[in-house]
Amino acid sequence: MLRNMDKSKEIIKLIHSLVPSDKKIRIMNVCGSHEHTIAFSGMRSLMPENLELIPGPGCPVCVCPESDIINAIGLSNRADVILVTYGDMLRVPSKQGSIRAQGSNYKMITSPSEAISIANANPDKKIVFFSIGFETTTAPTAAILEMGVPENLFILSSHRLTPTIMEILVKDAEIGIDGFIAPGHVSAIVGSNAWNVFSEKYGIPTVVAGFEADNLMLGIAEILEQLKNGKVRTGNVYAGVVRPEGNTQAQKIMAKYFEPSDVNWRGIGHIPGSGLELRDEYSSKDARKVFELKEIKEEQIPGCICGKVILGKAYPSDCKLFKKACTPKTPTGPCMVSMEGSCNIWYKTN
Amino acid sequence: MKQIEIGHGSGGRLTRDLIKNIFLKYLNSEELIPMEDAAILNLNGSTTAFTTDSYVIRPLFFPGGDIGKLSVCGTINDLVVSGAVPKYISLGLIIEEGFSLEDLEKIAKSIGEAAKEAGIHIVTGDTKVVEKNKCDGIYINTSGVGEVVKALPLSNVSDGDSVIITGTVGDHGTSIAIAREEFDIQSRVESDCASLNGLLAPLFEIEGIKWMRDPTRGGVATVLVELSESLGLGVQVMEERVPVREDVRFISDMLGYDPLYLANEGKAIVISSAESSNRVLEILKRHPLGKNAAVIGKVSSKFKGVRLKTRIGGERLLDMLEEDMLPRIC
Repeated sequence: MLRNMDKSKEIIKLIHSLVPSDKKIRIMNVCGSHEHTIAFSGMRSLMPENLELIPGPGCPVCVCPESDIINAIGLSNRADVILVTYGDMLRVPSKQGSIRAQGSNYKMITSPSEAISIANANPDKKIVFFSIGFETTTAPTAAILEMGVPENLFILSSHRLTPTIMEILVKDAEIGIDGFIAPGHVSAIVGSNAWNVFSEKYGIPTVVAGFEADNLMLGIAEILEQLKNGKVRTGNVYAGVVRPEGNTQAQKIMAKYFEPSDVNWRGIGHIPGSGLELRDEYSSKDARKVFELKEIKEEQIPGCICGKVILGKAYPSDCKLFKKACTPKTPTGPCMVSMEGSCNIWYKTN
Repeated sequence: MKQIEIGHGSGGRLTRDLIKNIFLKYLNSEELIPMEDAAILNLNGSTTAFTTDSYVIRPLFFPGGDIGKLSVCGTINDLVVSGAVPKYISLGLIIEEGFSLEDLEKIAKSIGEAAKEAGIHIVTGDTKVVEKNKCDGIYINTSGVGEVVKALPLSNVSDGDSVIITGTVGDHGTSIAIAREEFDIQSRVESDCASLNGLLAPLFEIEGIKWMRDPTRGGVATVLVELSESLGLGVQVMEERVPVREDVRFISDMLGYDPLYLANEGKAIVISSAESSNRVLEILKRHPLGKNAAVIGKVSSKFKGVRLKTRIGGERLLDMLEEDMLPRIC
């Protein structure tokens, strides 16, 4: 019934009718594009007062550890290396500056296949692909490995697993999540079944949604409906794109090349099994091993609350640096850099 | 901050700060004070609009135009939005040693064509050449004078006025972003680069016309934020009424741009009294460059700043962007 309604007004009315009047409801999104839709559509201004839409750890650029950025800067300063990575990564600040400011040999790419072209065009150089992101960007990196990459191409994997971080959030009582909007693109890869743990183990409604405001609001309405009638399950209002089992082909090649690893999340800390590293069989492609990269201890940026923002414990506007010292042009913290970062999005819409 | 940054040339907040903190400090002639697109001068009893603009666009040739056409149209548009009929333009060229004569001739040809089409004369010029690698191909400066037929001071604008855009927004910015080939995208989006005197001059006869501005660098949003800040009034924009080409919307979604902030080179924002807005639309729509004209919002004294009413009925703030989405767009 819900799925055929496409008029924003009706969905908003439905949301208002489903929110209990005596209780605060907190629904978290874990995808930068969802937060983008929410902020740019002015959705929060239309929600009932006691319904909070919280941005979570949805920005892969924001959670990439400082250590990896400093190592990437170091690699790009080697005469025999060209570092290639996604545009936003060039601007992320670290205590040693950004890749763009402090690096020498680097190129921006928009897809992993460009890394191959660059490697082929520069046979006398070692090309290091600083590959970051959640399942959505892991799959294409696995795909180029499966197709076969040139000998002079290496992977610096800083990939992260969405379900693992969401489970950490659920267990953190300070955050208090009543429902999850599951990320549409990640779900297309991992499948909506990947979220069953939240309804089954923790009793938290989790609904996969797309990126149009109406579709996202349908997802919110479904979460509220589940909370109201007490029948909690994994929902999917993005069924045209996301299947229960996901993209099994992508899952297969991801599992072939990568395995879970214990990694740091910027501003959050060490989370066992939440990252992906290349399997031992492919260590000749693993930039961490080939270039013997060391873990560098992360330092808290004075005044920056990106860690809290990523975890949904604070809004960007709670930060003293927000719109003052920290702007998209002069980002102090990682969340101000990417257009998927909560602080960057809030800067433009609040 | 001790150095010039790329954002100081964005036409946005940093440019305004630079003008206020450096230039106005030493050059505070009364004609500069309104900080409009053209100065309004009294010469021998007749009112004249005078403007200047430099063009540093990269690439020099792009779908829908080139630096030559742009340098004529941009200056004409600055005059016409000031309520003037453009008459004469000067042409200053700074060329890099080694620049192709064939390309220079192409640029000269489009300058000539654009001038002819707009009915203005190029009456004086200057050519300088700098050593190789001391500039990026060619930079052009044009200045223009026009006869003011309708005074359009910002102070005309008041509560309840309609905000009109003469056509689709973001075409120029999108076409340049694609033309730079930094993205692997094929598109048919052409720059809207055009002279607006034919489109806008008929509006001078309408009583309720208050103010006009061509939303170039920084786009529609930046112009409206400036308007709102200067007047201390609010502006409400209805997102669903803002005309955006389907492909421009798609590409900007993909690249993370907001069409409201993308540059235009053949569009104007027209502020008129609410009563005159239908008449304005009627006149604009008669002209090929105005067929997509639309009332996109209104001026309000009830709040400050620029508020966007979104498609789903929500509200968000439009602010001046500090970061320059695309430097050297014009």
